[in-house]
Amino acid sequence: MARMKFLCDAERCIECNGCVTACKNENEVPWGVNRRRVVTVNDGVVGAEKSISVACMHCSDAPCMAVCPVDCFYKTADGVVLHDKDLCIGCGYCFYACPFGAPQFPQAGAFGLRGKMDKCTFCAGGPEPDRSEAEFKKYGRNRLSEGKLPACAEMCATKALLGGDGDTIADIYRQRVTVRGKGAEVWGWGTAYGPPKGGQAATGSKS
Amino acid sequence: MSERSPRLSRRNFLLSVGAGGAATAAAIVAKTAPGIPAAGPETAKSESRGYQATEHVNNYYRTTKV
Repeated sequence: MARMKFLCDAERCIECNGCVTACKNENEVPWGVNRRRVVTVNDGVVGAEKSISVACMHCSDAPCMAVCPVDCFYKTADGVVLHDKDLCIGCGYCFYACPFGAPQFPQAGAFGLRGKMDKCTFCAGGPEPDRSEAEFKKYGRNRLSEGKLPACAEMCATKALLGGDGDTIADIYRQRVTVRGKGAEVWGWGTAYGPPKGGQAATGSKS
Repeated sequence: MSERSPRLSRRNFLLSVGAGGAATAAAIVAKTAPGIPAAGPETAKSESRGYQATEHVNNYYRTTKV
C-alpha cells in the first residue's frame, strides 16, 4: 500500500508561491487560511537563502491525532491524515502540537472563538462521500479519488515540491541528489551528518 | 344499552389511534433502518477511493525527473 508524502527540494524552490496559490484556488480556501505556505530561511544572505514549501506533512505518528480531545482525526489507507469538521470543537490543541503549523483556524472572535480547524488534506477530501458537494464545501477538492495528485505538487513549476507515493518520490529525490552531488552544499547536510571532517569549512564543491 | 354505546365507540377510537400510531412508527423504522449505515461517516471513509497510479499520476512522476 502506497503511503502519501510531500517532499520539498530546497535546491529547486524559487519562492514563487505557486503552490500556495494553486492550493487556495483548487480548494477555494477561505480568507485568512493558508493550508500551504513558503518559508524562507537566511533571507537576504547570499548563497545561504533557501525556501521550502510547508503544509501538513501527514505524519506517520501524527501529534495532532494524539492530542485531539474529540478524536476527530483519522488516517486513510494511503497514510493521509484527515479530520472530521463535524466533530472538531476548535480547541486549537492540534495547532500547538503540530511542528509545522499546519492546522489553521478561520476566525479570531470574542471569547477565543476559532471556528473549525482547516488544514491540508493532500487533496483527499474528508469523511463525506467522494466528490460530493458537502465534501468540497468543507474540505476542498478530492483529487486523489479522481486519480490525480495534490494541486500544489502538480502545479510546481520547478518540481521542487514533490508529492505522491513516498517510495516513488524518495527515489526521484535520491536520483537528484546523486546527479547534483552529495556534500556540504546540500541543505541540511551539516544538521544530518555533522560538520565536515578535519574541521574544514564547507566549500560547496561536489564530492 | 344506550349509555354503553358511546363508551365503546370512544374505546374503539382510542384503540384504533394507538394501533395506527404503532404501525406508523414500525413502518418508519423499517424504512430508515437500512439507510442509516450507508449515510454514516464510517462507511463513507471505507468506501473512499484513494491513491491510484493512473496515467495522469505516472505522467507527473515523469515530469519530476526532468
